[in-house]
Amino acid sequence: MATITAPTSQKAAPPGILTHPATRKLLTLAALAAILAPIAATQWPGATWPTALTVDVSEPLGKASDWIIDNRDTHPLFLYFFGHVSNVVVIAVRAVYLALLAVGWAGVTAIGALVAWRVAGVKLAAGTAAAFLACGLLGMWVPTMQTLALMVVAVLASVAVGALLGLAAGLSDRMDRVLRPVLDTMQVLPAFAYLLPVVLVFGIGVPAAVLATVVYAAPPMARLTSLGLRGADKEVLEAVESLGTTARQRLLTARIPLARKELLLGVNQTIMMALSMAVIASVIGAGGLGDRVYQALASVDVGAALAAGIPIVLLAVVLDRVTGAAGERLGEAGKSPVTWLYALVVAAAVALAGRLAGFLDWPDGWELNIAEPVNRAVDWMTAHLYSGVPVVGGTADWAAHFTSWVLNPLRDGLQWLPWWSVLLIVAALAWLIGTWRTALTAVLAMAAIGVLGVWKPSLDTLSQVLAAVAVTLVIGFATGVAAARSDRVERLLRPVLDVFQTMPQFVYLIPVVALFGVGRAPAVAAAVVYALPAVVRITAQGLRQVDPAAMESARSLGATGGQQLRQVQLPLARPALLLAVNQGVVLVLAVVIIGGLVGGGALGYQVVFGLAQGDLATGLVAGAAIVCLGLMLDRVTQPTERRTTKKGA
Amino acid sequence: MSTTDKDTTTAAATDTVTERPPVFSVDGLWKVFGPKADRVPADPDLAALSPAELRSRTGCTAAVADVSFDVRKGEVFVVMGLSGSGKSTLVRCLTRLIEPTAGSIAIDGEDVRAMDRTRLRALRRHRAAMVFQHFGLLPHRTVLDNVAYGLEVQGMGRAERRERAAAVVAKVGLEGLEQRRPGQLSGGQRQRVGLARALAVDPEVLLFDEPFSALDPLIRRDMQEEVVRLHREEGRTMVFITHDLQEALKLGDRIALMRDGRVVQLGTPEEIVGSPADDYVREFVRDVPREQVLTVRTAMRPAANADEAGTGPAIRPDATVSEAIEAVARAGSPARVMTEGRCLGVVDATDLLSVVAGTDPAAGSDVAAGSRAAGAARVGAAAPATRRKPTTPAEPTTEEPA
Repeated sequence: MATITAPTSQKAAPPGILTHPATRKLLTLAALAAILAPIAATQWPGATWPTALTVDVSEPLGKASDWIIDNRDTHPLFLYFFGHVSNVVVIAVRAVYLALLAVGWAGVTAIGALVAWRVAGVKLAAGTAAAFLACGLLGMWVPTMQTLALMVVAVLASVAVGALLGLAAGLSDRMDRVLRPVLDTMQVLPAFAYLLPVVLVFGIGVPAAVLATVVYAAPPMARLTSLGLRGADKEVLEAVESLGTTARQRLLTARIPLARKELLLGVNQTIMMALSMAVIASVIGAGGLGDRVYQALASVDVGAALAAGIPIVLLAVVLDRVTGAAGERLGEAGKSPVTWLYALVVAAAVALAGRLAGFLDWPDGWELNIAEPVNRAVDWMTAHLYSGVPVVGGTADWAAHFTSWVLNPLRDGLQWLPWWSVLLIVAALAWLIGTWRTALTAVLAMAAIGVLGVWKPSLDTLSQVLAAVAVTLVIGFATGVAAARSDRVERLLRPVLDVFQTMPQFVYLIPVVALFGVGRAPAVAAAVVYALPAVVRITAQGLRQVDPAAMESARSLGATGGQQLRQVQLPLARPALLLAVNQGVVLVLAVVIIGGLVGGGALGYQVVFGLAQGDLATGLVAGAAIVCLGLMLDRVTQPTERRTTKKGA
Repeated sequence: MSTTDKDTTTAAATDTVTERPPVFSVDGLWKVFGPKADRVPADPDLAALSPAELRSRTGCTAAVADVSFDVRKGEVFVVMGLSGSGKSTLVRCLTRLIEPTAGSIAIDGEDVRAMDRTRLRALRRHRAAMVFQHFGLLPHRTVLDNVAYGLEVQGMGRAERRERAAAVVAKVGLEGLEQRRPGQLSGGQRQRVGLARALAVDPEVLLFDEPFSALDPLIRRDMQEEVVRLHREEGRTMVFITHDLQEALKLGDRIALMRDGRVVQLGTPEEIVGSPADDYVREFVRDVPREQVLTVRTAMRPAANADEAGTGPAIRPDATVSEAIEAVARAGSPARVMTEGRCLGVVDATDLLSVVAGTDPAAGSDVAAGSRAAGAARVGAAAPATRRKPTTPAEPTTEEPA
């Protein structure tokens, strides 16, 4: 990688290793380290973060938490602001939930299918109906409706908040400068980091779950709204202005309609993020499907977890496809409102008929109990596949080996390293890939972890992340290269990737628990599976989008396939590959943290523990450490382009 | 248009054009991009600098530098220049889509730069409409609604604006495509929509910003003829920006040739081709077939004797040289340049050939003097549109150079 950014200086300097910019950066850093490291090492000896440099925040945090709990019913801030917010959320969710129940399963299925038909066509309408019926069949109708009600409220709020923020950022440069870094950062933080602050204010329950979901799901809407407003064709806007429009007319008749694609994409992403978070938020009292999965995982009841997990997946796929199709159909001629009216009338008729026929609650006799057979299968697997399978070993053996041969040495190694050398490594990596600014942010984030006093568990989490990222990148790059070179492989992979990319993070925990039991290895496995699709896709796209002229000229010079890949495709696709690494790291971190629920330990466990024990201080500190870790990992892997002027490579 | 009438003489036409009130009157206009742009027009030393010097001294770029001209009612005023010459900035300054740095712009005597937002909006809504290079259509609206957009902005009711839009759509030849979206149209059709949208508000002036540059050559010719036709039918004032010399010569009654933000020559196509103001313009027009642009007026000499003044085929003074060549070749004798039964002079084969060869010093200097005078007075000299309607006895051969 280093060779392609060779210096292009006009001077007659020898092309020695000293003039290379990367070397220069490293030398500067080495000089800095030579001065600072001995001081640090003598002043605060030992490998772990020195206690002299930590600040105990758990006590004030605990006090704050206690104060909030004591004053929640009396302090005016809660009475007149948070109290109202909380009430409105509860009432809204309750109202939607009751409405869904009142329409009945037949009505909900019919309305869902008709909406899908109008916006996305017959095939997706059938899929939507089938998905709803499957939820009923699995005995999950009521939890599904609970999740759906929470989703509806959270998505509406997220879209409203996101669109308003996006409008502000799209119309005002100053707002954009303020909001953009905040939104960028929020995008890379794991979902778990948002839970604790919300719980601190609202306590465990539906309002906290909804608000955490809104905070998590609104950023993509805001980003895409702003992007759409800013990306509008300049000449169209100029033409509209030349006709003497007022600013309001320009916004309503041109800028917003021109941004429709981005707006719909924003809605789509917001829905997917909201679903993902609504499921995770079961940890803080969201109820519904996520809660069923959470409870089942807590007692390692894979069958029950799967019964609740399948509706989540179905919901995710249906919602994604229907909203996605709505975006793609934009260019086509608008449909007359009359057909919508027909659809509405039909849906109302079906709902009414269902009500009259008594099809409100899903009939018990129609439920299919899959928990038991699945559990039997899992038991069989435990008995036969976990260990002692000739030649290949067993899944539990693999997990144990992975833990003892990879995870443990990695963790111990990281914890053995002196703390200042960890900072030095972070600085070197971030500076090599990015600018001194990103390096500084990364180092400060890492130092903040130490100051918070969670150095050891953070390095434990970091070791899991590193192991998972390594596995992800090896498999992901290999698959991506294969998909880029062969159309057949790509065709085979595409539907798989599509489904995997729409599934909420939480769901990935179910199969790994079935296969590997609980512990750190399954957490890593879930993270790999979750991050893999994005890495594969970005890699394949990056390789495929390499300038065809460059490829053609390489072929015309008689380069072999391998030479083309090494000498043309990989160097030219470098930005895409770096992006794949960045995405891989961010996604892996999100799931490794959630892995705390299935024995992953470390920071994720501290968050769960804090929630379960009501020890919010511990949880908040761990949450802050997660934020810092996410920030550090993102900055370390962030390519330069965003801030500095582009170099002609 | 009355000036294209067969019986009107060139001299009379010239008078009517120069007498007409200016629609746009631009004086000393500057648009400078960069830090503290205001000081550049104000300081005579800075104002006199070349673009490179200006940039190195101040970091500013003068897109439009001290430009003055009048656009007379009913004429097609072409601003021509290569990319980066400031012509697109200039046309945007006319309705303050780009705010000028210095100078004055008046429309019908009213100061555009002094207008408040409401007045400016009214100007854009009713008096000057623009056609853009990349069309600038709204992709989510049908053709009809795109054309009606300007009327909608004015607050006109739905039924009325659609009715008017439908009439304009028919005028530009898009009947039957009213319900299509811009994405379903070809480039030429899209630009017809752009043209229709500008026409729909019935503006006093049409501004064209390189409207046909993005089109195929054949479609471009169709669209140019469409503009000629519209101009002939309605006589609307047009300001036309282009980088294409052929297009400028074909459409323009007068052409302002721009370079580095300044107007290097302003005159009729004949003046530009016949007597370039400097080497830059000469290089620019070098490949133009002179005989198809220059008129016999530039080639004729006084009749040597009464015999010469009394015989030979008669041609009008505004006939092109190539038409005269045909007439002389048919008759085998010198031709007489006649107006209102009076013989202005004669042209023979030698005179005509020297024009084609570009070796006629007398004619060249003659027109050059006229051009300079016209430039100083900032008025046009020749009748608009007459070249497009050849009225000589000889068969019209003024199909534009390929």
